[in-house]
Amino acid sequence: MKPKLFSAWLKTFFGLAAWLLLFTGYAQPQESGNLKGKITDAATQTPMSGVTVKVISSGAIATTNADGEFAVPAKKGDRLEISYVGFGAETLSVLNDDFLSIELEPVKNELDEVVVTALGIKKDKKRLGYAIQEVKGEDLTIARESNVVNQLAGKVAGVTVVGSNSGIGGSARVTIRGERSVDLNKNQPLYVIDGVPISNAITGGSGRGNLEVDFGNGAGFVNPDDIESMSVLKGPAASALYGSRAANGVILIKTKSGAKAKGIGVEINTNTTWESALKLPEYQKVYGQGNGNGGDFAFVNGGGAGQTDGTDEGWGPAFRGQSYPQYNSPRTLNGQPIPFTGGDLNAPQGSVITSTPWLPDNDNLKNFLQTGRTFTNNVALVGSNKNGDFRLSYTNLDQTGIVPNTDLKRNTISLSGGYNFTDKLSARAFVSYINSESGNRPSISYGTESIMYLFNCWLPASVRVKDMERLWMPGAENLRQYSWNYNYHDNPYLTVMQNTNSQSYDRVIGNVSINYEFNDWLRLQLRTATDFSNELREYKRAFSTQRFPFGQYRRVMLNNEERNSDFLLIFNKDINSDFNVTANLGGNQMRQTSKYDESVAGQLNIPEIYNLTNSRIPLVASQQDIGKRINSLYGSAGISYKNKLFLDVTGRNDWSSALTLPENLKSFGNEDNSYFYPSVALSAIISDMVELPRAISFAKLRGSFAQVGNDTDPFTFTQSLNPSEPFGTAQVYSETDRLANLNLKPEISSAYEVGADIRFLNNRIGLDITYYTSNTINQILNIPLSITSGFNSRVINAGKIKNYGFEAMLNLQGIKKKDFTWSTDFNFSANRSEVLELRDGLTNFVMASRRVSVEARVGERMGNLYGIGFARVQSTNANAPYYDKSGSFDGQMVFDANGRPVRTTNRILLGNYNPDWLLGINNSFNYKGVRLSFLFDIRSGGEIYSETQTVGREGGIIIETLEGRADGYDITKEGNGVIGQGVIANSNGTFSPNTRKISVREWHSAYTGGRNIAEGVMYDASFVKLRQLQIGYTIPDKVWGSKLPFRGVTLSLVGRNLFVWDNVPHVDPEVMSYSGGTALPGIENMSIPSTRSYGFNLSLKL
Amino acid sequence: MKTQKLTGFLLLALIALTACEKDFREVNNNNNVPNAVTPDLLLSGVIRNSVNQQVGEAWGIGNIVSQYTAKIQFVNEDRYLWNEQNGIWNSTYGNYRNLQNIFAQVAGSENNGYEGVALIMKSWMFSVATNAYGDIPYSEAGFAKTKALYTPKYDKQEDIYTGILNDLKKANEILAKTTTLISGDILFGGGGNAPLKWRKFANSLRLRLLMRISNKRDVKAEMQSIVSDPVNFPLMTSNADNAELKYLAAAPNQWPLYNARVGSFDEFRVSKTLADRLLAIGDPRLNVFGRPSQKSIAAGAAKIEGIPNGLGDVAALNYNSGPQGVSRVGYTFACLVCNDNGQARPDPAAPRGIIMNYAEVQFILAEAREKGMITTGDAATFYRNGIDANFAYWQSVVPPQYGINVAPGAAYLTQSAVAYAGTTNEKLDKIYLQRWISMFFTGLESWFEFRRTGKPAITPGPDNLNGNKVPARYIYPLSEQSLNGTNRQEAVGRQGGTDDLNTKMWLTQ
Repeated sequence: MKPKLFSAWLKTFFGLAAWLLLFTGYAQPQESGNLKGKITDAATQTPMSGVTVKVISSGAIATTNADGEFAVPAKKGDRLEISYVGFGAETLSVLNDDFLSIELEPVKNELDEVVVTALGIKKDKKRLGYAIQEVKGEDLTIARESNVVNQLAGKVAGVTVVGSNSGIGGSARVTIRGERSVDLNKNQPLYVIDGVPISNAITGGSGRGNLEVDFGNGAGFVNPDDIESMSVLKGPAASALYGSRAANGVILIKTKSGAKAKGIGVEINTNTTWESALKLPEYQKVYGQGNGNGGDFAFVNGGGAGQTDGTDEGWGPAFRGQSYPQYNSPRTLNGQPIPFTGGDLNAPQGSVITSTPWLPDNDNLKNFLQTGRTFTNNVALVGSNKNGDFRLSYTNLDQTGIVPNTDLKRNTISLSGGYNFTDKLSARAFVSYINSESGNRPSISYGTESIMYLFNCWLPASVRVKDMERLWMPGAENLRQYSWNYNYHDNPYLTVMQNTNSQSYDRVIGNVSINYEFNDWLRLQLRTATDFSNELREYKRAFSTQRFPFGQYRRVMLNNEERNSDFLLIFNKDINSDFNVTANLGGNQMRQTSKYDESVAGQLNIPEIYNLTNSRIPLVASQQDIGKRINSLYGSAGISYKNKLFLDVTGRNDWSSALTLPENLKSFGNEDNSYFYPSVALSAIISDMVELPRAISFAKLRGSFAQVGNDTDPFTFTQSLNPSEPFGTAQVYSETDRLANLNLKPEISSAYEVGADIRFLNNRIGLDITYYTSNTINQILNIPLSITSGFNSRVINAGKIKNYGFEAMLNLQGIKKKDFTWSTDFNFSANRSEVLELRDGLTNFVMASRRVSVEARVGERMGNLYGIGFARVQSTNANAPYYDKSGSFDGQMVFDANGRPVRTTNRILLGNYNPDWLLGINNSFNYKGVRLSFLFDIRSGGEIYSETQTVGREGGIIIETLEGRADGYDITKEGNGVIGQGVIANSNGTFSPNTRKISVREWHSAYTGGRNIAEGVMYDASFVKLRQLQIGYTIPDKVWGSKLPFRGVTLSLVGRNLFVWDNVPHVDPEVMSYSGGTALPGIENMSIPSTRSYGFNLSLKL
Repeated sequence: MKTQKLTGFLLLALIALTACEKDFREVNNNNNVPNAVTPDLLLSGVIRNSVNQQVGEAWGIGNIVSQYTAKIQFVNEDRYLWNEQNGIWNSTYGNYRNLQNIFAQVAGSENNGYEGVALIMKSWMFSVATNAYGDIPYSEAGFAKTKALYTPKYDKQEDIYTGILNDLKKANEILAKTTTLISGDILFGGGGNAPLKWRKFANSLRLRLLMRISNKRDVKAEMQSIVSDPVNFPLMTSNADNAELKYLAAAPNQWPLYNARVGSFDEFRVSKTLADRLLAIGDPRLNVFGRPSQKSIAAGAAKIEGIPNGLGDVAALNYNSGPQGVSRVGYTFACLVCNDNGQARPDPAAPRGIIMNYAEVQFILAEAREKGMITTGDAATFYRNGIDANFAYWQSVVPPQYGINVAPGAAYLTQSAVAYAGTTNEKLDKIYLQRWISMFFTGLESWFEFRRTGKPAITPGPDNLNGNKVPARYIYPLSEQSLNGTNRQEAVGRQGGTDDLNTKMWLTQ
């Protein structure tokens, strides 16, 4: 894989170099005489009069006539500046032509681009002292994802997106510029809609005996059709005004308005895609069910009564054309066929299972999975006049997942409008109602409720899954499931059809703002916003389910609300012709509440009645009500000099309830709930200040310093005693195992950032580079304690984490002709996070653990993965084990006398889950209305641990387990059994090559030391993905004539995640697992295959 | 005027923002749960959690290493491929957090019964933990909250024993004088009889632990002082005094294995060692511990067939032609769906979580008397009492509807393998054998006893992965390497330098 990636990288590099050469050649100055030309409006193709044409070197000026024509004294190699109000300025070089045909485009010049910055304040992009990158709405709606957050992957430098694969809008974890916090939950950016934060909560779905279910992250429910743009504010300087929650960057979502519409219009977008698995695990299809004894198979009761019919492993007889009684083989009674099969344990006494051919089911998983499909339809009614605008939009998303009986139906109605009451007073409002319903979201991770647990680890190739579409034994419907193995497993169809995890989610996001302009330099904005959601989750489990013989019903109600109210006073004045001053003063109050209510009927009286009144045993309830508030005051000021030197400063103070001691504790602690943090940013348009080489058409340097404070979760100070189920009449409480700290201080993150934005050759090459570094101190951490201290963790202020990295965005406009354009964008980023300090002598912080532990160790990189490794011969330390002074066996694996790998006593460093670098490459071609674009997403470096490997090997299911059974299980035969590559340690201190052969079944579990050694199942998670492909054609409006009302009809063929090239067996390297609502990157745990999607999109206007 | 309005607005805003301190205090107060509760509410949890752990540990390791059961599937434990075993560790220190709350609440009150009970629970849990791991944090443990001690040192096992024995003595004294009515006592039911039962448990446990260190220390005087003063040091006198948790019929307080998957339950089978030993002496308790193999039933000659411990994967699953030829663990301990054809569902309240039984006390006394460590009583009587008590115990525990006859045959007690006769060593062997039988499913106690006496023998299985040695201990939890590394390292160094299954702790040195 490394070579493949390297070659991809190399190609990129040479491609880049070739482009640069091309442009350099293009710009060679040549001799010429007087120059004539014509200027037309690129959009309307009409001649433009009054356009100024200036020869830069001589200063000669001409203006176009009514036909758009001009004549100016210029020679080859001269540079012309062409300017016209509303069209910006364009600079170009005179080439061979003696007649220049120039098309001017209305302002789209990125130099004059206005971007939305913190608090929704619009600013000229060129004045920003920090990096912002924007993704346009149309990039989100044509090639779509149900979770809009996934769309950022590859499109923004410095942004890492890892989605969870559930097939239907699972959650996505975004990190911007790496990880600052050792708390995995705290590295997510803040999501802001129209200047107001919304909730991105991931409320975990696990516990009470049920496996994890990924119910999605808050931001993932936002409707892409209502998004005009998403801006990513990467560093603290960009996000400082958002305060506490913006320490990890901000994703600003600007909603669409009707303001651009002329009169009333209708916009329609319809999208249909199909989804299939991008990558399926590879299973061995040579041997069937069995336990490695080399004998035959016979099904009797699926519980061990037959021959190896109780096992669930793939170490059985090879497929040689023989026949065996199997779970799906017909039964006969007294020689007569009866309507029962082997797995029908309620068949009449004395019935016999007849043998049927022993064959592999080659495509078990493929056949089980289905083609997912997603229909998305959006219709928007837009309108505007000089007094106001509105936009009413309805979107319907209807998705069925690749896992049978999983679905998502989402309806979104949004209304956005503004009205100018007077010249001074205006108001705007946006409200979006989201209703999202899923009849079933799949259970994930390792356990009977997860289908991938079955397919990847415990489903021998001989089991024909399709026959389990019949869920029940005949006559025992809803009572006794029909399956191939009654010892351990559930029928996978029962799992998905009956044991459902449903979600019903209603959410309203809305904001209202009023603007009052006192005069032309002072205005006041008042705004209030809410984001509230109600969610019902129901977990249903049928009778005879392995974990729930009497079924189960669990009902969870979640209620979250966030309200923000703020005011903002905006001052903007030119002091004199050189100086302009802007200033803002604002305040915000944030209120969050969340309520969690859960009731569990652990057993049911009557099957199929999923109601709490149907409980066989006392209900178990739990409830958690949480509140939080933050009050803030903030201000910013900016001075610009001659529109080429810009200085911006901000300051913000927060007061957080989460850092406020409760009344009964206030005398015990040292409260510090108020914190201030500043930022300063400077940018200079160098190209307007000094003469630069001609090739450079624009150059800007920028630098910033910023701090951002952060608080903590509510209730961090209270030491609670938690109830659990009573024992008979005895009530039971126990103290929480987390130790509170009454002296917490706010976290502070300080960041420096420098960057440059340079455009070459008439802006046809744009390069934007940034280097940043940040230090986070006083992190509020729940550090693990040795349980021997009485507690598992303690909340402290600790740590100093350094984050630094480099980002580069390169834009090349390779061809820019009237009919044909080609541009390429590169987004490159590399980030490193290092742990500089912990505290209290702590050198090691375990962030998460599952076979391997994600650890933050002082002096090391964040995201390091530690686990038990293979003991290896070493020649450096005579006192350490396996010392070989000869050095001839250095680095070899050590095997014990049984031929099994020896494990290390201590956990060792096995890798790091963070990528070394990321690169997105997007190419767009435009030829006469046909647009083609494709996005490659490249990730280099980073490791993952694969639980599928660990257990799939043990079960003899995955293809690797063919190693050591070339011809069955007789270890004396050639090709059977495995001799581990390495040495054995002799008693006299020497080493000799391992020659001990062990049986194949033993080998594959010895390889992980019985699910203990992780080293052998770590993989390089590098990949190249064809993330997106779009081919679109816009039908010229004139085709419709004047009778048909269609305008801007665009048909696109779209694909997402079409191909992946990688080196991780069985699973998509872009995976993570979940534990208690915490995403665990770097650890793969029975992931559902990720999907490839393809389809078409049609958009039009009326 | 406009400016005034604006100033007024800003002032209002400022006041609104800063005047919410009281609100903030209320908002950040966790009103979902209390921040203090009475001792009884904690005691119930400590008992339940620790006994559940005891059951789980017996099932997962204790029964296997003592060769009551053997595995046919996922045989790592049976082959001594023990990775970290953190259950006891986490349970001991986690429960100790709650015990510390009890100690804090009763501090200052004279002879508070909760203190006595909490001391006994503490002593029992720490005795199991030190026996399993060796040197462990003890004197400095559990003080994160009160003394800001986050990395407690590991105490020497010898010192831990001293502490435990003193605490048990003190608990006995407190409970002798207490007038506190104990609630939340799900072990002995609370009420007026409870203090006496707890004292009996404390003193019996002291005997167990004294015997356990009898190779290392002269414990004669201390044992004798207990035995000769039953008024001040009451011991268990019948099965009614057994320290065991009686599970409930209703979820979620049922026998912990009751919710197991049938396949998971069936990975554990009757060990050949158990079957052979009990069949050799015609001991009907085998019918409680195991069930006849399906194969033998089908052949019309129902019998209990054990499987050797420590076989490899393939050999284990194919032993005696597969799972049907190997006896399942007794019906009494079964899971909900682990009943055989035609049988009623297992009773979730039948099995008990055993900490210590009366029979064990009798066998300790028998051994002590036989070895001359005490001078009171008669070894043969103690021995006989132990056997009788254990038979009676299983008779009372096994529900009659299971149709299992636990009564020993007429010749049982008189056969030479059981009759209390022969040389001292022969008699001791018989005590050890009967004691071993009586401690079925009692945590890790039989393994600890084997380490002390080497009896009855444990022969590592043919495919064991520990160099033909019975493991001597658990390794420390891997997390201790990073969270309490220095202290762990010091303890490892003190015990021979390596932290593995064969490291010799003080008890076994």
